[in-house]
Amino acid sequence: MDAKVENLLSEVLQMPASDITDDLTMKDVDAWDSLKHMELIVALEQGFEVQLSFDEIVAMQSVSAIKRVLRERGVTS
Amino acid sequence: MELRSKKAIVTGGVRGLGRAMVEKLVENGTVVTVFDLDAAGLDELRKQQDLVNCVECDVSDYDQVLKATGQYHEQFGAADILINNAGILYSEPLIKLTSEGVARHDAGMWNKVLAADLNSVFYMTVCVVEKMITTRTRGVIVNISSVSSSGNAGQSAYSAAKAGVNALTAVWAKELGPMGIRVIAVAPGFTDTDSTKDAVSETALRETVKKVPLRRLGKPAEIADGVVSVIRNDFFNGKVFELDGGLIV
Repeated sequence: MDAKVENLLSEVLQMPASDITDDLTMKDVDAWDSLKHMELIVALEQGFEVQLSFDEIVAMQSVSAIKRVLRERGVTS
Repeated sequence: MELRSKKAIVTGGVRGLGRAMVEKLVENGTVVTVFDLDAAGLDELRKQQDLVNCVECDVSDYDQVLKATGQYHEQFGAADILINNAGILYSEPLIKLTSEGVARHDAGMWNKVLAADLNSVFYMTVCVVEKMITTRTRGVIVNISSVSSSGNAGQSAYSAAKAGVNALTAVWAKELGPMGIRVIAVAPGFTDTDSTKDAVSETALRETVKKVPLRRLGKPAEIADGVVSVIRNDFFNGKVFELDGGLIV
């Protein structure tokens, strides 16, 4: 699951996958604004076949938070 | 989107095109709430359409919109459909030649028309869409535009407001599409309503009808049919649906 999340982030934020580390947050990436965040959420929802709640969307402001929410949702791969 | 049991807000739904839309939605089993500033008209509507929820609200006033949409959301939760129909049809030349000389377009009326026809669309949409997003509701926003958006002589304020409505439709379709919220404009041509007759002289209206290939005004029910069609079609998004009898081709 981790690699898939990193690849999705890399694709949406147009950054090398090697730069997508767990401590990366929205604040660190200029391109990761609220519009891009929604694009990312849609990509995650489609990629992992989940429907995220608004609270989860708000919480997913770092790579580690994204992975944590998905794990809590039972996503493993 | 299937209309049955969905929740819709229609602004300016007491009379004219808005009323035709309310009736069409009710026919299709939609739970309709009308936002309108006409208190007497709302009373009348309540008597005739007991399934319709009526809210007195001037949608060109942001504070009133905040309060009314807040109360709506407490009662109904997120709306599925918002039809931004309320507005003023107003005609006045930029410069008028009068027996006393030259007169400028009234600046107060410019502001009033922009507030009613453009600000209201922003106020209602921002409040309703916020709730759609926080509840992950896949909704539809229908903005009632006009063929005048491409520039109709003698309608500076109305044309500018409707061009703004078309621009907002495109912006919001791009912003909200990824969240499953569609945004559409429906642009009626000249339609047989009291507001058309009040705003356009009989002579001008007669001349306009001659330019319509179908040689008649649109009927409110035909515009309402168009609105229902674009709500139903889940792939229609970000576009202006022109319903003008072929006036602009």
